[in-house]
Amino acid sequence: MSSETGTPDPQAHPVNGMDDIVHQRVRLGILTIAHEARRVEFGYLRTQLDLTAGNLSKHMSVLEGAGLVEVEKGYEGRRGRTWITLTPAGHAALTAEIERLKQLISRVETIDTPEDR
Amino acid sequence: MTTEPLPAGGDARRLLSEARGLAHRVRRDQRVTWVALLVLAGATYVGIPIDWAGMEVHCSAQGDSSVCQFARTGALLYWPPALLLAYAAIAFCYVRVARSRGLGARVRPYAITGIALTVLFTVAWVAARLYFPDHPVTFPQWALVFDRLIAPWGTIGVALLVLARLERNVALLLFTVGYLVVALAPIDFGWHMNASVRTVWVPQQVINGTVLLLGGIGFALARRRQR
Repeated sequence: MSSETGTPDPQAHPVNGMDDIVHQRVRLGILTIAHEARRVEFGYLRTQLDLTAGNLSKHMSVLEGAGLVEVEKGYEGRRGRTWITLTPAGHAALTAEIERLKQLISRVETIDTPEDR
Repeated sequence: MTTEPLPAGGDARRLLSEARGLAHRVRRDQRVTWVALLVLAGATYVGIPIDWAGMEVHCSAQGDSSVCQFARTGALLYWPPALLLAYAAIAFCYVRVARSRGLGARVRPYAITGIALTVLFTVAWVAARLYFPDHPVTFPQWALVFDRLIAPWGTIGVALLVLARLERNVALLLFTVGYLVVALAPIDFGWHMNASVRTVWVPQQVINGTVLLLGGIGFALARRRQR
């Protein structure tokens, strides 16, 4: 995981701190759902994000490789189930990304006033 | 779907809005509010005959009127285990349902709050039972509201506030505020049963249980419509 997932520096432009791993629609979605759900099943993610299993697996590998999520495989009866949990690094990365997005929006709103047009 | 990172300054607003939408959907899918309300309504209804039958009443004539002393032994014996069982059942259902939907549950703080409030009301009732027979007191109105707040029906409402916060469930919050007003005021819709000491609390308990029951049915129907 890059060091970019730490607390954003309020002085720096928010775009500079963006982490390419997290700053991606699907991966941000996975982290958001895993954060909100505490623990989420692969199938739920696939349905909510409207992805194929292969596509979701690729994104999961990126997040798992970066240490942002933990993947636990098991069985319920005969049915295989894969559960995804956010790691503390994943939680920090999600918080930082959301914070940067908010900063970016507020910066754009500050600049984009009628006087500037 | 794209695997490319979004342009950094690009659509931050859309990303945030999507993330909020996903979080909202997860919270909605984790809810089994109707189960909690129906379990609590059931516990309230079952408690009514136990309270009635288990009440110890001693009346004595004083002049033209009679003075009665009472102790709600049935309620004291019934409610602590009933509430503990109810919170355990609710937590179990939440975990099972969330798991079947592919999610984790966020019910633990609610169950812990419910259990803590149950302990609090049990201690308060036992202390009152030991102290007040020898030290009769006339309580002001605010003390009676507090008494109702730490009674089982009040603690049910306080714990539901915690559940509403956990679920960020505005509908449950509004329902709970209404329930607490009915339980604490108390609002009995003019229904009184003053024929004997045993029946004085029956109308309020029936009303509390009915509010919970109707709430449970309402949340179940709303959930069904969402699906």
